[in-house]
Amino acid sequence: MNPLSNTIAHASRIRVIAFHAFTQLVRMKVFYFLAFFALILIGSNFFNLPQHEGPEAAGVNILHSIKSWSLGAMTLFSVVLSIVATALLLPKDVEDRTLYTILAKPVPRLDYLAGKLLGVLLLVFVSLAMMDVLMTGILHIRTNMVMESQVAFAESRGHSAEQIALLKSDIMAQGATASLQGAVFSVFLRATIIASMALLISTFSTSTLFTTIISFLIYFMGHFQADARAAYFTSEAGTSDSFLARGISLLISLALPDFQLFNVIDAVIEGQVLPLFILGKLTLIGLFYAVFYVISSWFIFAKKEF
Amino acid sequence: MQLTQGKRYAILGLAILGMGAVRLPFERGLTNELTDANLMPPKLEMGTSERIGQTFSAVSLGGLRTLVATFLNLRAYGYFTEQKWADVGETFDIIVDLAPRTAYYWDTGAWHQAYNASAYYLHESELAPLRRELNWRASVLRGEEFLKRGLRNMPENPQLRQALGVLYSDPNKVEAFGEPEVAYAKSYDIFIAAPGGAEANGMSRRFALYSLARIPGREGEALALVEEIIKTPKSRTATVLNLLYTLRYFADPEQSVGELIDAIYPDRETAYELLSRQWGRSRDHFPMHGVARGISLLELQLGVPSERSILKQKSLPPLRVDEMFPKGR
Amino acid sequence: MTESPPAVEIRHLVKDFQTSFKRQPLRAVDDVSIRIMPGEVYGLIGPNGSGKSTTMKALLGLVAPTAGQCAIFGKDSMKVDSRNEVGFLPENPYFYKHLSGEETLEFYGKLCGIKGKKLKDRVGELLELVDLKEASHRRIGGYSKGMLQRIGLAQALIQEPRLVILDEPTAGVDPVGSREIRDLIFKLKEQGITVFLCSHLLEQVQEVCDHVGIIFRGKMVKEGKLEDLIAIEDQTELVMKDASPELVAQIEALIKSDASASLVRTGKPRTTLERLFLRETVGRNDAK
Repeated sequence: MNPLSNTIAHASRIRVIAFHAFTQLVRMKVFYFLAFFALILIGSNFFNLPQHEGPEAAGVNILHSIKSWSLGAMTLFSVVLSIVATALLLPKDVEDRTLYTILAKPVPRLDYLAGKLLGVLLLVFVSLAMMDVLMTGILHIRTNMVMESQVAFAESRGHSAEQIALLKSDIMAQGATASLQGAVFSVFLRATIIASMALLISTFSTSTLFTTIISFLIYFMGHFQADARAAYFTSEAGTSDSFLARGISLLISLALPDFQLFNVIDAVIEGQVLPLFILGKLTLIGLFYAVFYVISSWFIFAKKEF
Repeated sequence: MQLTQGKRYAILGLAILGMGAVRLPFERGLTNELTDANLMPPKLEMGTSERIGQTFSAVSLGGLRTLVATFLNLRAYGYFTEQKWADVGETFDIIVDLAPRTAYYWDTGAWHQAYNASAYYLHESELAPLRRELNWRASVLRGEEFLKRGLRNMPENPQLRQALGVLYSDPNKVEAFGEPEVAYAKSYDIFIAAPGGAEANGMSRRFALYSLARIPGREGEALALVEEIIKTPKSRTATVLNLLYTLRYFADPEQSVGELIDAIYPDRETAYELLSRQWGRSRDHFPMHGVARGISLLELQLGVPSERSILKQKSLPPLRVDEMFPKGR
Repeated sequence: MTESPPAVEIRHLVKDFQTSFKRQPLRAVDDVSIRIMPGEVYGLIGPNGSGKSTTMKALLGLVAPTAGQCAIFGKDSMKVDSRNEVGFLPENPYFYKHLSGEETLEFYGKLCGIKGKKLKDRVGELLELVDLKEASHRRIGGYSKGMLQRIGLAQALIQEPRLVILDEPTAGVDPVGSREIRDLIFKLKEQGITVFLCSHLLEQVQEVCDHVGIIFRGKMVKEGKLEDLIAIEDQTELVMKDASPELVAQIEALIKSDASASLVRTGKPRTTLERLFLRETVGRNDAK
């Protein structure tokens, strides 16, 4: 077989397994979550949540809260789904012996793992895209409402045209910006890292529960990695820190993924701009983790016996 | 090929560490970049306890901090309507740990303490006067402290700067900070240092003037500032004109009041209306030099009968804490 | 090589399993060698836990041999491409419950690289073969044991393999289903497909297999052509229809007159309960 047709065969098998995993999850009715999300978001739009603020803030905070609700829900959904779905799919195949029938076909084990991971990620991606469309739509409507009322207020107070223009751009920065789309994509990137990490764990774990717990643990500890790293590098200058403490900091920094990088999502909610080159670097990191974890998973899974 | 599974795990462990070593410099660089782009809070400018608080929340809520902050904001609103001020304060402490870069939370948290809680202790509380006074003062100072913390997290944030400047210049609060002129001076320093040119900061400069004019002994500075402010026609608000009048009068009490009024106000009716308003603001620590004289002159010229003179209303001295919390209630 | 390679070639297979923390490994398969030529139906029999499934898994590359080699049509079992020519039905198979029978076959077909019209035709053909045309749009979650086994067989055949491996194909299936599966195996044999099955139901193996191996505690204890293994060499059976008692008496007398031969027993052959059951139930089904 020549290399090209070989690659195509791999790609098509991975695609088949990915779409299958996607269908499997969809038929497990995970999309009900989306209905829940839509309900909350649309509901929060109809019922004005009580805002304790002076009249001069009129309504800007509602934009902030729509964003934080939406991205929070996206985070929750993407993290839980990435971990639980990945932790579930592999052991389920082993337990139901469906894995035998798949591996008894000419399916390389790497293709199987990559397919499962991509299936989960496809589901996360589609869900996030739908949530994003909903959020962007509602944010758009709300931004226009806030804009109208604030501009009317400013005009009644006789503010200059430049100041009103400034106010407008201020409000727009709180609305559906390109940075906000970047933040949603960052949510997906983080999910990619988590899912591939859960895949690696599930190749040597003995139960879904174990995989889930360890994955969540690593996810939370990953938010600490940057501090361990900072501790390691700052302690380099001073000599008071013990050798052991430095060793532990180094070990944590090397072994755990750095999830604090994804705090950019919170910064974007708070109105900061997310430059494209930073998003590019985050993407690079996400890919790096995903590829490394998949290859590691294969390394363990390749010689696993069932 | 015939590696045992145990050896495979060992290799995997080494690979993970090796991969960590490869990505470490990259991630470290990116973290610095993010900090520079304001996408991550700077690490070293904060006190340790604040830093630990934020890290702890980040760890325990990984990725859901903003959402939880939004929920807590709702809860704080509940406490606010129930007038549970301690709970409001605690909730906002958590909220700002979770979302330290949202000015809104710092602003609102401070507002609840400095304005709502203090007003509650001033007017509504059933506590003994001394207790009320202490709580009132503590609330105002907590609001101040909260804004200061906010500014440590978000230096140069115009919303928080303004909130703190306004707080220091609130005549009903200045007593809480000790001598009023100290608070007014702080307020002036904040407003006058607002970044951006004079054109962009018309309001900040006016606010700076309002505070400066209330500091006894700095009338000369205040006059210089107000003379500069009126060069922008848009800035000629009622208070600015009144301060121009009273500060010019203070500089030269011998001059003709009539000429002074004509030079400042568009017409005498307006002058009378604005100066009367100024007369009513004595409690706000505003200077009153020449105001009574100007009003007398205008009443004479406009034919206001002496029994309806605005000067019949007593010009009250600024409110003191003792009056706010009378001992024998 | 002039001759085509054997469909299955297992040489001195040894498989040890590490039992949790004890140092002593468990030897599941001990020096087993099997050679199946194309077109043969080979039955591996033995009690539960004797190493049948492990042998099959080693042949499919699901477990790695501790020693020895397995090959399918001359290709090493540890290599992925050895799986191109083999279909496998595991013991008590479960398939994805969320898929219908048709979708299941399509999924496995796509895994083997079949697509488009060819896949559609093949799926239709197999559904016809295993008689699941009507149930093809139902979710597998609602299938009976026998239906699962049949869809499993169809799945194993999806890429037209030259070798089919069946692990306990009739375990837990009722006699009707069992008979249908047996018929299917006969059909495969007619098409020249090599079948390697294992079972602990001896009667079934006896009916379909032409080669048999008996495995016990991981060791191959007996192997060969079925007829050779089970023929009782010194006996001859004679079954007659409408024989009068006089004729029977004459024959008996004839036997007595022979010095070396002796009569072991006479009587009426019984139909088996299974055959009776099948006649009654399948007959009803047809009538309906």
